[in-house]
Amino acid sequence: MAHPLQLGFQDAMSPIMEELLHFHDHTLMIVFLISTMVLYIITSMMTTKLTHTNTMNAQEVEIIWTILPAIVLITIALPSLRVLYLMDEINNPYLTIKAMGHQWYWTYEYTDYENLEFDSYMIPTQDLPKGYFRLLEVDHRMVVPMESPIRMLISAEDVLHSWAMPSLGVKTDAIPGRLNQTTFTMTRPGIFYGQCSEICGANHSFMPIVVKSIPLKLFENWSSLMLS
Amino acid sequence: MAGEGEPGSEKSFKLLGILDVQNIPCARESVLYGSLGSLVAGLGHFLATSRVRRSFHFGMGGFVLTTLGCWVYCRYNHAKLRIQQRIIQEGMRNKILYESSDFDPESKQNKSQGSHS
Repeated sequence: MAHPLQLGFQDAMSPIMEELLHFHDHTLMIVFLISTMVLYIITSMMTTKLTHTNTMNAQEVEIIWTILPAIVLITIALPSLRVLYLMDEINNPYLTIKAMGHQWYWTYEYTDYENLEFDSYMIPTQDLPKGYFRLLEVDHRMVVPMESPIRMLISAEDVLHSWAMPSLGVKTDAIPGRLNQTTFTMTRPGIFYGQCSEICGANHSFMPIVVKSIPLKLFENWSSLMLS
Repeated sequence: MAGEGEPGSEKSFKLLGILDVQNIPCARESVLYGSLGSLVAGLGHFLATSRVRRSFHFGMGGFVLTTLGCWVYCRYNHAKLRIQQRIIQEGMRNKILYESSDFDPESKQNKSQGSHS
């Protein structure tokens, strides 16, 4: 999860997020080089004694500063499109979970085999046990089996919400009357936190999302326990 | 839980405030080689022509090109390594799943060796 004052991404917990991190590194290096070059050009212009007050045309430099940025944009666009299409690949999910946004809690439905449905409310600060994360913990976490492709169907019952999980690289709008689909695969066990990402009223900041990733065998035990 | 993930516990040094050379794979090597390339290009040009200003321009160009070249090469190899890691991981997972079953690749290898002998 995020640590205080964190600016960068959280560690990747899904293959898509790993690809996004790598694309971000690639783009950041290009941005760094362009920034360095611009800073150098500014310094160079500020420190020259040369002046030229009647430039009429500059065909060569115009060609250079048209072609080079086009090449830079293509260098950024190609990996970007690759990740975009990777995110849309069909991957035969093992499990489908529906997440319904309400004011101001989430409902998770596991209806593939039995009808398992539960609400997930934020734990208020006054009821939070020691050592737990303020404004992030919920009473019932969404549990998923690790290393299995999961399909999420996200919608809402009242107003717009958004189901976001930074460590998975997922942010999907929950729109009333519409089903949005996203897929992910958890690569490691653990507990991961996200928050509602579409303004939805007074308690928009107080409807977090917690995903717990566990081995398949433990997931089967959990779902039997929840159904009983 | 209290001390985990605090900013001080993760070392990060950000060039121009954005590029974390300690935690981004290949970034440190690229910038170091780029600096070396910049020095070689700039100094070399100055020694050849004694033109200070233009040597700085060459140094800058050398830095950009060397950093970019090293970055692309290193990231390409890094990506190949990651793909190989994933294949090995998948193979290890399948080995445990398929051991002693019809899908076990080791049993297929043993059968083919047996048929050759």
